[in-house]
Amino acid sequence: MESVKLKVNNTWYEFEVWVDIQPSDTLADLLKNRLGLTGLKVACDEGACGACTVLVDGVAILSCMMLAIAADGHEITTIEGLEPDDPVVEAFAEQCEPGYGTAMQCGYCTPGFVMTVKGLLNENPNPTLAEIKDGLSGNLCRCGCYPAIAQAALHAVEKMKGREEAKNENAIPTT
Amino acid sequence: MKMPFQPRNPRDFIGTYRPRAADGREKASGRAEYLDDVALGIRFPGMLHAKILQSPHPHARIKRLDIAQAEKLPGVHAILTYDDPEVASLKPTSHAWTSVITTPYDRYTSVKYNDRRVLGDHFRYVGDKNGVVVAAESEEIAEEALKLLDIEWEVLPFTLSPEEAVAADAPVIHSEINPDGNLIPGDPRRPDDPTPIEDDPDTVKDVFLDKGDVEQALAQADVTMEVTTEHHRADHGCLDSMGCMIYWDDDKLICWTNSYQADQTRMMIATMLDIPLSKVRVICPYVGASMGRWNVGDQTFFIYTALLAKRTGRPVKFKHTRREDFHDTRLQITWSCKLGAETGGNITAGSFKGLSDTGAYAQHVAGILKFVPREVATRLLAPIPNLKMEGHGVYTNKLPGGMMRCTGNIQFNLVLGIAVDMLAEKLNVDPVELVAKNFGHEWGPVPNKDLEAVLREGARRIGWDSRHQPGAGPARDGHKRRGMGFSCHMGWHAEWEEELRGHSEAGVRVNPDLSVVLMAPTVETGPGSNNCSVLACAEALSFLGITPEDITWVSTVDTETGYKDCVQTDSAVSYLQAELMPEIARQVKDRILELAAVEFGATPDKLDVAHGSVFDKDTEQEMRIKDLLWKGDMVPILVTVSREPDRTPTGVPYEANFAEVEVDTETGRVEVLKLVIVNDCGTVMYPPGAEGQQIGGQCLGLGETLTEEIIYDEATGVPLNFNWIDYKIPTMADFPDVEPALMEVWRGSGEYGACGIGESVFTCTPAAIANAIYNATGVRVNQIPFKPERILKALGRI
Repeated sequence: MESVKLKVNNTWYEFEVWVDIQPSDTLADLLKNRLGLTGLKVACDEGACGACTVLVDGVAILSCMMLAIAADGHEITTIEGLEPDDPVVEAFAEQCEPGYGTAMQCGYCTPGFVMTVKGLLNENPNPTLAEIKDGLSGNLCRCGCYPAIAQAALHAVEKMKGREEAKNENAIPTT
Repeated sequence: MKMPFQPRNPRDFIGTYRPRAADGREKASGRAEYLDDVALGIRFPGMLHAKILQSPHPHARIKRLDIAQAEKLPGVHAILTYDDPEVASLKPTSHAWTSVITTPYDRYTSVKYNDRRVLGDHFRYVGDKNGVVVAAESEEIAEEALKLLDIEWEVLPFTLSPEEAVAADAPVIHSEINPDGNLIPGDPRRPDDPTPIEDDPDTVKDVFLDKGDVEQALAQADVTMEVTTEHHRADHGCLDSMGCMIYWDDDKLICWTNSYQADQTRMMIATMLDIPLSKVRVICPYVGASMGRWNVGDQTFFIYTALLAKRTGRPVKFKHTRREDFHDTRLQITWSCKLGAETGGNITAGSFKGLSDTGAYAQHVAGILKFVPREVATRLLAPIPNLKMEGHGVYTNKLPGGMMRCTGNIQFNLVLGIAVDMLAEKLNVDPVELVAKNFGHEWGPVPNKDLEAVLREGARRIGWDSRHQPGAGPARDGHKRRGMGFSCHMGWHAEWEEELRGHSEAGVRVNPDLSVVLMAPTVETGPGSNNCSVLACAEALSFLGITPEDITWVSTVDTETGYKDCVQTDSAVSYLQAELMPEIARQVKDRILELAAVEFGATPDKLDVAHGSVFDKDTEQEMRIKDLLWKGDMVPILVTVSREPDRTPTGVPYEANFAEVEVDTETGRVEVLKLVIVNDCGTVMYPPGAEGQQIGGQCLGLGETLTEEIIYDEATGVPLNFNWIDYKIPTMADFPDVEPALMEVWRGSGEYGACGIGESVFTCTPAAIANAIYNATGVRVNQIPFKPERILKALGRI
C-alpha cells in the first residue's frame, strides 16, 4: 500500500505510507497527531477504556485499536464532525436532573462516551436503559458519572424524537 | 424523577439545579483541551518524547552502564544518566514535599523523607523509574533506545511484606534513611536539623496520640472488642496519565502539565534547578482527573524533562503510558483496634495501631498514617476519654503507596466502622444509636446533632428499621442473603484548611456590556468547584441583572498571567473561592456607584444598584448599568480580591454511607443493591455537581472495596495487572443504585458556608459494605477487596 485515502468529517485526505504515516500508526495517531483532531483521547492505548472512540462508517470503534492503514477508503466521524446542535452533545452538556449528577466531571472520557452513544443510536434509535448500560459498558469514567451519562443518552433520544416530530409537523404535505 | 434537594435558604443561583455553566459545553463537545491536546508535534514542531528506564528487578543497582549503542540509534537526541553532572548535583526529593500550599524545598509543612534521587542508580521496585532517560523523535524510538542500553545489574535481595521487611536479616532498602532496617523512622530530620515540623509536630512520634489511660480503661470496661482490618494498594486510575511538556525560551523554562498545582510546581522546579521563580512559567490546562495523586507534585520527571529540554533545545514531552501510570497507590495500612465500653453504651476507650506496607518510598506516610487519624481523634472521637494511637511505616520493594482521594480516612474508617458494628452487637444496641450517643460532638460533652441528623437521614432512606439480625434474613433462591450496614465519618474541616492555605485570590473583569470574566484559578480536574465559583459570582453580582451564563470562567491556570491558583485538594476550593465573591461584588458595586455619581450629579451614598440598574434613592432617577458603562470609556471594571484565611472555629460537617448488599453464598459474589450517601454540606453550592460527587465517588469506593486489586507475583516481586483489563475499575454495567442525599445542617463559615465533599463521599463505603456483608451472612470479612474467594473462605465453603 503506497497511500491511504480516507474521509474525515466530510473531507477526503490522502497520506503517503512511510512518509506521512507509518504502517504501525493507529487511527488515533493519525486523527490526533496528524490532523489535530484532539477531541478523542488516548487514555489506555490498548482498547480497555473507550476514550478514543470515533465513528467509522457510522459504527463506534476504538481508534487506538485500528491501524490507520486499515481505515483506507472509510468514512470517519470524530466529535469535531458533529453538528453544533448535536442532540447527544447537548444532552451531555445539559444533564443536571436531580438525583443523577452531571454527565461529566473531568471530561476526559466524555468525547468517547458521546461517540459511543452516537454509534449506539445509529444501531438502535430507541434503546432501553438496560441496552444503554450494556452499550456503554466498554467505556470507563473514573469520575463515575455513569447514571448521569445513561440519563443523558435517554435525553438525547427524546431530543431526537422531538426534532423528528417537529420536522414532520413543519413538512409541507405532498399531495 | 428523583426527589431534588431542597436548600435551607433558597437563592437565585446557588443551590439550584442547572447545567454546568463553566465547562459543560466545552467538555461535551470535545473542545476542552488537556495536556495531550496541547503537547502535539503539530503545535510544537520538533517536540521530542522522553522515556525513562524502569527497573526489571524488585531491588537492584546499576553496576555498569554503556549508552553507546543507544546513542547511535537514529532519532535519539539526548540521553541523560545518573552520571551526568547536572543530575548528580541535584538534591534528593520526596514526592511528599508538595501538599496543599506552596512551600519551598527546605520547609517541613508535613513530615517528609528526601528518599528519592531524580535519576539514581538504585532501583527499589519493579517499575522504579530511575537511572537513565532518553529524548527521541518518537516514543517508539525512545523505547527502542532504552532496550539498547548495556546495563550490568547488581541484583539485590528484596522483601515484599512488612512482616518480612522488619526481620533482622531483611535487605535494607533505604540505608540513608534507616541504616539498620526497614522501619521508617518517625522523625526524618537529622539530629542537627532544627527545622520544625509545621503541620502537627506529634506526627513524628510512633505513639502520636495518647489521651487518658487506655490500658486501664480497657481493663475496667464492661465490654471490649478487638479487630484487625486490611486495606490494599488501590490505584487512582485517572484516564489522563501524569505528564508534562517543557521547553526553554532563552533562560526561561515553560512547562505545560496536568499537575493540579501550578504555583507549587513552579516553586518545585525553580528550587530544584536553582533558577528564579520569574524564570519558570507553569501552565495547566484541563486535567483528566486527579483523585488525590497530584498531592505528590514534586515528581522527578519535571526535572529530568527540563534538563533534556535544555540539552536538546527542543520541547520535550514526558507522559506515562497506561502501565507506567500505575505509579503510586493508596497507602496500604493494616489497622488494629480495641474498643471498651460500659454496659450502658458509653465508649470509654479506644486503642488503634497501624502498620503500613509503605512500599519503596515513604511519600506522605506520616500524614496518612498519623496526621489524618489524629484529626479524626480530635473531632469524631473527641468524646472518648481514653484514646491511644500508634503507627509504623515499613519500606518494602513494592510500588510506593501514598496520597489518594479520601487519604488516610478510608483506611481508618474501615477499622472504625467495623469496630463500632462489632461493639454494638456485643452491647446489644443498634450501631446507629451507639454512634449517635458517643461520637462527633465538637467542644462539649453532648453529642453533636449534626452527626445525628446525618445518621437519621441515611437510616430513613435505606429502611434501617427493617434490618434483621446478622445472618437471620431470608434466603433468596436458596443461597442469596441480603443485609444492611453503615459507617460514618467526618469531613475535612474548614479551620484546618483555612489555616494551611494562606491567602486565596480571585478577580473579575466586568465588561461594559455586563458580560463578566471570572478569574478564579484552580486547575480543573473535575470536581466542579469552578461551577460553584461561577454560581457564587453570579449570586454576589446579581445586582447587575446577570446569570451564570453571562460569566466566562478562565480555565487555564498560568503562573505568569494569572493569580495564585487555589489547589484542588481537600475538597476545599468550592468554598474558599466562593467566599471571595461577596467582597468582589462590594468593590464592583462601589465602582459603579462612583461612575454613576458623575452621571447623576449626586454623591455615591445617595445611589444604589439593583436588577441591572442604578438609581437615586431620593429622586428615583434610574439608569441601566449597561447604558452607564456603555457611555463611558469602555474600560472594564477590574477587581482583584485576596482573602486572609478565616480561623474562626467552625466545627466539622459529617457524612454517612448506608449499604444494602446481596451475597451469593454459593459463588461468593457480593452485589451492592443500594448505596445511600449522606453528606452534610453546610451549604450546597451546586446540587448536580455535589450529587455527581456522591454518586461518582463510588467508582473509586466500590472498585476499591470489591474488584480492584494490584496482584503481585510474590516469588519475583513483579506486578501482574498494570492494565485496565485485569485491574478492574467499575463500568456502567457494574454500577449499583446510588442515592445521593445532600444536607445543610452544619453551620459553616463565612457568607455562604459551604464545604467540599469530594473526599467524604466514599470514605465510609468499604466499612458500610463490610458491615452489610456481615449482616447478610453472619460472618466477618475484614480485608478488602471483598472478592469471592475471601467471602467463600469466611463462609467455610473453601
